Amino acid sequence: MKINGVTIEDTFAEAFTMRAARIVITAKDARWAREAGLKLTGFATSVIGCKCEAGIERVLAAEETPDGRPGIAVLLLTMDEESLPQRLIERLGQTVLTCPTTSCFDGLPDVPDRLPVGKALRTFGDGFQASKVIGGRRYWRIPVMEGEFVIEETFGMQTAVGGGNFLLLGNDADTTLAAAESAVAAMEPLPGVILPFPGGVVRSGSKVGGQRYKKMIATTNDAFAPTLRAVTASALPQGVNSVLEIVIDGLDAASVARAMAVGIRAACRRGVQAVTAGNYGGKLGPHHFHLHKILDGAA
Amino acid sequence: MSDWVALTLRSPIERALDLSAVRADAFATLATRELEALPVRYGGDAAVLGDFFAVTGERAARVRVTGDLERAEGLGTGMTGGELVIEGNVGRDVGLELAGGSVDVHGDAGANAGGARPGAARGAVGGELVIRGSAGEEAGTALRRGLVVVMGDAGRGAGRGMIAGTVIVGGQAGPGSGRFLKRGSIVALGAIEPPETFRRACTYRPPHLRVQLRYLKRRYALPLTDSHIDGRYDRYSGDFAELGKGEILHWVGE
Repeated sequence: MKINGVTIEDTFAEAFTMRAARIVITAKDARWAREAGLKLTGFATSVIGCKCEAGIERVLAAEETPDGRPGIAVLLLTMDEESLPQRLIERLGQTVLTCPTTSCFDGLPDVPDRLPVGKALRTFGDGFQASKVIGGRRYWRIPVMEGEFVIEETFGMQTAVGGGNFLLLGNDADTTLAAAESAVAAMEPLPGVILPFPGGVVRSGSKVGGQRYKKMIATTNDAFAPTLRAVTASALPQGVNSVLEIVIDGLDAASVARAMAVGIRAACRRGVQAVTAGNYGGKLGPHHFHLHKILDGAA
Repeated sequence: MSDWVALTLRSPIERALDLSAVRADAFATLATRELEALPVRYGGDAAVLGDFFAVTGERAARVRVTGDLERAEGLGTGMTGGELVIEGNVGRDVGLELAGGSVDVHGDAGANAGGARPGAARGAVGGELVIRGSAGEEAGTALRRGLVVVMGDAGRGAGRGMIAGTVIVGGQAGPGSGRFLKRGSIVALGAIEPPETFRRACTYRPPHLRVQLRYLKRRYALPLTDSHIDGRYDRYSGDFAELGKGEILHWVGE
């Protein structure tokens, strides 16, 4: 398959089942909502080293939020359901609670699995906190120096998909990065997905384990590292001098597949030779996104 | 089964009519004939609902009552769910000991709306009572949980002895409102005189009110303005004659 002269390899991305929460943060204006969101999603690129993956899903207009103020929606994912509440309590407590003017709401109110995140954070109020039930949902009012911080008592948790991906094989670093930026720009507005890496792009894709350092969980993906073409079993066609990866996490497989298709199409431009995807032979992750199928709209 | 049960008053009521059997949750399982046979008391005498109301619909937890009900008492008593809409004024004890669902009065209400029985330690324990007009004395007395909204004036002693929950008064709150409040909130959008046993804390914009007032505006189409939703409120803590863990939030403008 070719798109705009770019070869789409007949392979698939292998992704994992994760657990996700959607957090809605509102603030006095879009700037403060974004400040809280950036801190909340900081150092959350990969579960390998960050214990969770997170990103800003989208910006919310005032009329979309529970309190009528500008906001953002954040997705935060972990590998298991036990660690999700702990990550939320740590991060919301240190980043959103601390941020001026913010309030914090559950973005998955219809999901039956509930995590008592606000219930745990209420104890920061040292007994001065108070709750209100509004429209059947309980909120905690935590007194702070600025005034009050409001957070919903529980947050929904649902299964999600982490690790959807594709790799851009380009002629040089600049054109490959430009293609990746096009892909990110096309995917960012899509609901239900996040791109957890810096600017949505990964330059240091990894393989499982290590050849030399046996205790490493992940090491450089030498098969796709251009500087190692002559000393390793390279997977790179001739003329490829730079590779960038885009990782997509989403609330469901359909959202990830849609985002991958949109991103790949946007990335197929001059200077990109091929698009491929990362997998582990299909043995580790239950979600397989075959590039040809998703681009044909069949997956 | 129908979407709504409609009760239409046949003729004016001359004496006090106890309608505590009219509760939306109980109507959900009753056929029209069973509804007509529900016991009521008229001036202390036993009667049935069908003596006073034309009943249409059955087996629905959404109930609409129409007519001049100023002498009708106790509608929605102990209701645990469903939706009760009263088209017009209603007498005392509407939403007495309310536990769930919503009671929406499109008019004025008498005394003890959403309140407690005489001598009872607590009144309503849940649900939402919305009075679009004014309320008599002691609306939300001994409220334990839930919400009482009076868009007009509230008489003497609104929220008296509240244990928790919220009473919102759109107009003037009568003397003694909030007295003996243990916990809970009285939100006064109009004039209020906090009892001497309250202490002023600060002026701020309560973030939860943005959620609460927007919810009420959306759910009940109440005439709440952006200046109420985003406005500044004086916070008074009290009642220090009790636990002192309650509050009066008095709107002071944009």
